[in-house]
Amino acid sequence: MVIDLFKLNRKGQMKIQQMAFMLIAITILFVLVGVFFLAISLQDLKKTATGLEKENVRFLVSKLANSPEFSCGNAFGNSLDNCIDFDKLMILRKESDKYNNFWGVTKIYVRKICPEDETICTEENYPNCGMIKILDKNVNSTGFSSNFVSLCRKEKGKNLLYDKCEIALLMIASEDKG
Amino acid sequence: MRNFLKNDQDYKRRLLKKNLLNKKGQEEIVGFVIIIVIVSVVILVLLSFMLTKKENIATDSYEIESFIQSMLQYTTECEINSEILSLNRLISLCNSKGICTNGEGSCVVLENTLKEILNSAWVVNENSVVKGYDFKIVNDNKEIFSMMEGNKTARYKGSYQDFVRSGEKYQVVLTIYEE
Repeated sequence: MVIDLFKLNRKGQMKIQQMAFMLIAITILFVLVGVFFLAISLQDLKKTATGLEKENVRFLVSKLANSPEFSCGNAFGNSLDNCIDFDKLMILRKESDKYNNFWGVTKIYVRKICPEDETICTEENYPNCGMIKILDKNVNSTGFSSNFVSLCRKEKGKNLLYDKCEIALLMIASEDKG
Repeated sequence: MRNFLKNDQDYKRRLLKKNLLNKKGQEEIVGFVIIIVIVSVVILVLLSFMLTKKENIATDSYEIESFIQSMLQYTTECEINSEILSLNRLISLCNSKGICTNGEGSCVVLENTLKEILNSAWVVNENSVVKGYDFKIVNDNKEIFSMMEGNKTARYKGSYQDFVRSGEKYQVVLTIYEE
């Protein structure tokens, strides 16, 4: 009888031990899975930060052309939407260091697409050029977000001064945090 | 004889006990396998969710809207009464079958200008996201100009812009087809 009880106790202990090992194994498995997902989500966090920057850039690119620093205002007759004053850009280009952190982006370019021209604008070749670099920070940047704008200036014709508007792309890039 | 029977009964009892123990062991293994399967399925579902997140690189509608706005302000080659016309004024002149000062038909200038603008802004080729575009100018529900390039796809975005010139209402419509 005593021997039987002893045997039963040993069996019970074995069962408890088995259960404990099983529970430890399952806990380790879940911890490993948790660590795996945590690692992936932390990796995603950086991507999310970059994604938010991109979203901000997309919002900015759709509004920037109508900001006072860029817009044509009433210089070309009526107030035009998405119209950028070429002369203003040439001034802004020189003063870009004052606007270094104003827009919170790393690059702002304006590129003429119709007529297409890749020549970088300087005071010497203006207005026969097609690319104006307003802001060009030397940091790792995301891809450009762009929007179409009218690039207008006053042009001297044969007998008259007239408004010349061309089509350009306003391109903005932000810092890549990934 | 009695001893033999007793031994046989003992043997049967031990066999039954052994079978019961085996069955219990099998049940535990089945339980463990079920847990593993459930965890694997959860991992697979979460992984598939993570991997199917795609970045949106397609054209936005505001881009098309801005394009139409900028296009209508574009200064064309057509001059009339010592004034160089913007595209929206050229559309109106074309509708009234007007002629530019240099003798060229306004509709010819309009067509050439639109071709140049659309082809430089929306590059349609195999490597491009843009697979085609459909451009229309409508005056009082009557199509006065249309231009189609590439193929129509199931994924598209578009925008339109209304304007009034010389008492006539015009609508410029652009649809961009993407892969």
